[in-house]
Amino acid sequence: MINPFVKNVKSFSVYLLSWIFISLVHGSILYFVIDLFPIVCISDSVIYNFIFFTLGISFWYSTKFISFEAYSTVKIVTNHITAAFFTSAVWVLLGYWILTSLFAGDRIYLNFLFDSLVWRFFIGMLFYLIIVAVIYIIIYYGNFQEKVLREAELKALVKEAELKTLKYQINPHFIFNALNSISALTITEPNLAREMTINLSSFLRKTLSSNEVQINKLEEELNNAKLYMGIEKIRFGDKFTYTEEIGEGCCELEVPSMILQPIFENAIKHGVYESIEPVNIHFNCEEQLDYMKITITNNYDEESVPHKGEGIGITNIQSRLRMIYNQDNLLKFSKNDGLFTVTIFIPLEN
Amino acid sequence: MGKTKVLIIDDEKLARDIVKKYLEENNNIELIGECSNGFEGIKCINELKPDLIFLDIQMPKLNGFEMLELLEHQPEIIFTTAFDEYAIKAFEVNATDYLLKPFPLNRFNEALNKAVEKITTNKATTNIYSDLLSTVNQNKESLDRVVVKTNQKIVIIAIDKINYIEAQDDYVMIHSELGKHLKKQTMKFYEEHLDTSTFFRVHRSYIVNINSVKQMELFEKESYKITMKDGSSVPVSRSGYSKIKELLK
Repeated sequence: MINPFVKNVKSFSVYLLSWIFISLVHGSILYFVIDLFPIVCISDSVIYNFIFFTLGISFWYSTKFISFEAYSTVKIVTNHITAAFFTSAVWVLLGYWILTSLFAGDRIYLNFLFDSLVWRFFIGMLFYLIIVAVIYIIIYYGNFQEKVLREAELKALVKEAELKTLKYQINPHFIFNALNSISALTITEPNLAREMTINLSSFLRKTLSSNEVQINKLEEELNNAKLYMGIEKIRFGDKFTYTEEIGEGCCELEVPSMILQPIFENAIKHGVYESIEPVNIHFNCEEQLDYMKITITNNYDEESVPHKGEGIGITNIQSRLRMIYNQDNLLKFSKNDGLFTVTIFIPLEN
Repeated sequence: MGKTKVLIIDDEKLARDIVKKYLEENNNIELIGECSNGFEGIKCINELKPDLIFLDIQMPKLNGFEMLELLEHQPEIIFTTAFDEYAIKAFEVNATDYLLKPFPLNRFNEALNKAVEKITTNKATTNIYSDLLSTVNQNKESLDRVVVKTNQKIVIIAIDKINYIEAQDDYVMIHSELGKHLKKQTMKFYEEHLDTSTFFRVHRSYIVNINSVKQMELFEKESYKITMKDGSSVPVSRSGYSKIKELLK
């Protein structure tokens, strides 16, 4: 930290204006109450206050080392009272010496000056203590702000780290199964094999690169998910179908990247993989008040016994949404009548 | 000597196609059928009595391992799967080989030849790895379901639906929300493979699901019993008592 009184033009101006104000009060008292000549009033006020103005700037350097953390209160109080005593004494005597040499012939003023030395001494002590108090307030306010800032920075770091771990990871079995399908297709349907290779490459390229971005257009997210589903469609044939209903403004909607992919994957894993009957995945997006409502529904075999670990992916997305939008309940899911439904609400910014 | 009878069990048509294609190159092989899930697999194996099966692990309803548990006669097995984490388990069920998808023709033939040789020489299928496997420090993965066969019906029991398991000679009786089912398995197996935070062996012959326990009470002096939520009662040994008391605190 640097001396707050000379830190910038603004703070220096405030300090200077305070002293100008004090000087005006000082001069006015001498003129109206004590009834001295204007030139004497101005000189007395300017000289005394200018000296303290200069001394005051230096208080910072001693005060910042006498912090409440490092010293006991008793020690701090004794320190400052001693300092106040000597500072005030120097101030009063220095002013006295300058003014007596300036107005050597003015008996009335010199008498007044001499009589007022004790008063000036106490006022000097008071000035000292007020300035020190202000410095302490500035130090503590600064520390507090710095702490808040640091905490916010730390929070952002933790959030980023958490988001990274929550990020989507490609299931290696998906890749190996897809490659196995390609291997089979090269014999019977080379054209389809080529198409599948291209789809798989595009999917991998997008997924690997989009791990860097946090926000993406819904349309792009959906296209990527469709590449993935296209590959699964070739693997499972008629056992898997996909339908969609996309409302106005949905394509341009910005969503956290890779938030849909795990849901589609989940639907395929627990729907298509576990069922003998055909499974349809339906995607729906519509605007609803302040939210964009995204629904992904799939039918599943009600008799299939769930494996462990179901729903981990979903709660992962839930916490990712909470961290990004600072809002709870942005994801809901339900299992009803052989239908598994995941609903996501993306808050719309106005 | 006749041709080796082969059955393919895989839920993906393309995966079956590649095995079929590879098999075509071998003259002494007869493909007798294809199945697309574990249920069909059991039926086909019982009816067609293949010498060798190509078996996928991940399939709807019953997975490959669960299907094997329900077979009366086990043919030679070659696993075909994209999952490499089941290799140790595959040796436990005495599989001939384990092919990782996608696999090349020469690797496939190697596995096939190994199986054919085993079948033609009619080697006793003793598990030469059993000693080795028992020393392998493998992660005992916890079960998430148990399959049982009653008459001609196959029942899949989710682990959390099990109330308690009772030892009966070489078998165990599984008491669940779906009823009572006998299964050829050891208590030790369940003690090791069930989630130890919910399942406790309270007695030499009993493992209970703590979520199905209603209360524990003094039965005779120094002897306790547990009353289950379904009304049945289970004896508790002294060591079982201290285990469960710790938990119910």
